[in-house]
Amino acid sequence: MNPLNTVDASLLGLSSSEMSALAPYFWLLFAAVSGMILGVFRILPAKWTVFGVSIFGILMAAASSATQIGMDRMDLFAGMLVADGYSAFFNVLFLGTAGLSLFASMRYLDREKLQYPEFTTLLLFSTLGMMLMASAMDLITLFIALEIMSLSVYVLVGFRRNDRRSNEAAMKYFILGAAASAILLYGSALLYGSTGTFNITEILTRISAKSELMTPVFHLGAWMVMAGFLFKVAAVPFHMWMPDVYEGAPTPITGFMTTGIKAASFAAFVRVFIAVGYGKDLESAIQGRLHDVLWILAVATMLIGNVIALTQTNLKRMLAYSSIAHTGYILVGMLAAPGSESGFAPVVMYLASYTIMNLGAFTILSILAGRGDTGLNLHDLSGLSKRHPWLSFSMAVFLFSMAGIPPTAGFASKYYLLYSAVQAKEVWLVILAVLCSAIAVYYYLRVIVYMYMRDSEQSDARSTLTPALGAFAVAMMVAMTLQIGVLPAKMMAVTRKIVAKL
Amino acid sequence: MEWLNAHLLTGLTFLPLLWALMGTLLPAKSSKHWAFAGSLLVFFLSIKLYFGYDPNGAEFQFLEVAEWIPGLGVKYSVGMDGISLWLLLLTTFLSPLVILGSYHSVEEREKEYYTLLLALQTGMMGAFISLDTFLFYVFWEAMLIPMYFLIGIWGGKDRVYAAMKFFVFTMVGSLLMLVAIFFLAYQHKLQFGSFSTALLDLYRVKLDGSGYFSTQGLLFLAFALAFAIKVPLFPLHTWLPDAHVQAPTAGSVILAGVLLKMGGYGFIRFAFPLFPQAVATYQHLFMVLGSVAIVYGAWVAMVQPDMKKLVAYSSVSHMGYVVIGLFSLNAIGVTGSVYQMLNHGISTPALFLLVGMLYERRHTKEIKEYGGITKVMPLFAAAFMIATLSSVALPGTNGFVGEFLILLGTWKANPALAVLATTGVIFGAVYMLWMFQRVMFGPLDNPENKKLKDLSPREAFVLLPLMVAIVVMGVVPNFFFEKMETSVNKLLERTGKLEMVAKNQSRKDEN
Repeated sequence: MNPLNTVDASLLGLSSSEMSALAPYFWLLFAAVSGMILGVFRILPAKWTVFGVSIFGILMAAASSATQIGMDRMDLFAGMLVADGYSAFFNVLFLGTAGLSLFASMRYLDREKLQYPEFTTLLLFSTLGMMLMASAMDLITLFIALEIMSLSVYVLVGFRRNDRRSNEAAMKYFILGAAASAILLYGSALLYGSTGTFNITEILTRISAKSELMTPVFHLGAWMVMAGFLFKVAAVPFHMWMPDVYEGAPTPITGFMTTGIKAASFAAFVRVFIAVGYGKDLESAIQGRLHDVLWILAVATMLIGNVIALTQTNLKRMLAYSSIAHTGYILVGMLAAPGSESGFAPVVMYLASYTIMNLGAFTILSILAGRGDTGLNLHDLSGLSKRHPWLSFSMAVFLFSMAGIPPTAGFASKYYLLYSAVQAKEVWLVILAVLCSAIAVYYYLRVIVYMYMRDSEQSDARSTLTPALGAFAVAMMVAMTLQIGVLPAKMMAVTRKIVAKL
Repeated sequence: MEWLNAHLLTGLTFLPLLWALMGTLLPAKSSKHWAFAGSLLVFFLSIKLYFGYDPNGAEFQFLEVAEWIPGLGVKYSVGMDGISLWLLLLTTFLSPLVILGSYHSVEEREKEYYTLLLALQTGMMGAFISLDTFLFYVFWEAMLIPMYFLIGIWGGKDRVYAAMKFFVFTMVGSLLMLVAIFFLAYQHKLQFGSFSTALLDLYRVKLDGSGYFSTQGLLFLAFALAFAIKVPLFPLHTWLPDAHVQAPTAGSVILAGVLLKMGGYGFIRFAFPLFPQAVATYQHLFMVLGSVAIVYGAWVAMVQPDMKKLVAYSSVSHMGYVVIGLFSLNAIGVTGSVYQMLNHGISTPALFLLVGMLYERRHTKEIKEYGGITKVMPLFAAAFMIATLSSVALPGTNGFVGEFLILLGTWKANPALAVLATTGVIFGAVYMLWMFQRVMFGPLDNPENKKLKDLSPREAFVLLPLMVAIVVMGVVPNFFFEKMETSVNKLLERTGKLEMVAKNQSRKDEN
């Protein structure tokens, strides 16, 4: 049944071990392309065939990625891509995100009358872009991967063609995203100009060997690349696009973006961050300046994200600002990583937990959204616990997790992250971070107030049937949130292992 | 059974949670009986702890240690000493009474209510047995969730505001404690080569302790903020009256009975032994705040028109005694404080239950609505009298023993504050007896009060154990002291104060 058996690996110039390292990408490409074909030819009703083939491809890709988590690093295509535990871990994360987003979107698309196979295909291509981003070892590959991911998502954001907010979001995202990509590309060019290589590890090797390579051009390039990534992860002051885009995008896509794109951007960001010499004591200038600027950005991101989230009444906007705040926490982890013994492991673990809880929350919102993405204001959730006790319970778990309250994944990862920051002697940053998360408690709990402590406003509020696929996705994520929260040791060990060889 | 003996503390702690989870499968109607049976079972099993604890044995008994998060030096490590023994027993003792007490007052969403109550019990017991700072923090925070829902769903008119205030206050305090825990674990690594959050490991960490804002001083403040909010110590007490007034009876009982003790217990178990020099530095500041709380709480209680609010402010006052007793840093004061925590855990729940019973009948807690209740509810009035006398510390009741020891201990440490605190005893008698007089005596002129029914057998059964405890604790305090004495001495030894006490003692003997 394995279609790849028909391809002779030697013809492609790939050894069988390289072939198996690339299997996840091929599986996903296979699913995306067959989805496209099935969608066009419509031999069978496209909805379920495309869905089926996509889920099949995702499962196969995730299975083959999962086996690679423990494996040694392997360079592919002359070092342009790399298959290591780090990329395999992120691949599983992205594939999980894609699969669960698909689960969440089936009923949503029916309701919005948007049930087109393109949706699924674009989602898969975007996932492919994310996977390539996490494994790119070359600035050009990185850029291409970023574009594959972003272009698909630009379309998905505007998928509700007749909705003005969706159009506005897509346009805004496209223009600002394109500008950010351009900055990133320009930065890459400058890095190439000053070091003579696009290879991410090679850049570090060259600048550590010859410190005179660290010219102003190099610095400028490094800063521009940083700015590109900071835009993608929506750190203050590059965060303006996010709330509007999140609000306008179809809800399952918002969930997909807030988790997948953020994780992918951070995955690549970490690699480049190391490559420009942060934490390597190469030159005190870059170390110190990067540190100071990121310190300020991290504090500003946490503070602005949390404070503005306080005043939001639309849940998608609120979660968008909360997502900005979470970027701030992750930046704290990035800053602290070289100074702590766990390195970038807390960042990876935080991204994983964040993905799980945020995706869970957005899946619930996709289930609850009314036609045209309405009904996602705080007061629409009034009395939800009576209409949907299990959805409310799950939402409460995710919200407690985002607020960092034990025993949830959010708490365990935040603990791990801040612990490493204390080791890196960033005590003030940690104090600011915990005070910001105290602010966050208020707006997360307010959602719970509406769900549990208020009575429904409309007397005719009916309890619609929860779609089975969505319920399954939510249940999975609740289980994972609690599992990581109660027994985080396994996750910590895995993340520590995969970042050891970065 | 074998497993249960080896893991008695773990078993007891998680039994309520497991019981609650099993209960979710049962029909909602039977959930209260199921919960009551479970809490009763836990109580009877917990009596084993009393007989199993040997005051002359190791410092912590019933120890269980298991790896939890090896990379961060976090262990699942639990155990108990003579102080946690009594607080654990208090928790298991109050739990069935609370559940039985809410049989009629809670009528909607019963299953959720009892599930949360049992989950809360697991959180409270877990905090009392944790010997690892991380584990303690997990229980400490996890406990907030059920309490938040209890206040927010089944509370009074302003329940959302009260629940939110309760949550945010506690959370802000404990987050800084979390940072302090990180810092301690890191210091342990610097000094001993490995991360550890285990309490006994952290006791060994040496920190600079000279001055108010030394390392110890700052870490102590971070811990003390969390505990002082929970106690609650003046001026951080403002969440308490709101939470108490809005919470359902069971919420108030648990809040006053056990949750406030968590603050005092935190000082004893964590803040004192970890930062001995800082405690000595801040001793007088906290004693002053405690004395202010005593007097301020009493004055404010005096003018409350609402019975529940009055009892809430009396809690502020009573917990002030606990704080000055602890910070007197001598064996008498600390013993008195621990005893006062138990007393307050008996008499205030009794008062809240009594007010709750009156509220169920009349749906008002305003003092001016009542008067002459003795004539229609004699049994109720008798129970109210005993609880009131315990609260004003009449000799023969438990309150007397605790307050007497605390004042004695405070006198040794700071006579001026002891005098100030003693005025609190007088004001305490004023507000409690005045309320009693206005509610119970006088003409029975409100027609609605004329048809009030006296205690039902169920209600009498809820109150009886508390009344018995009040008298027993007042008459034979030694029964309780003998189990906690060595633990109190051990605490003072860790705080570096036992030696001083012993030295003074011998000097007196020489004279």
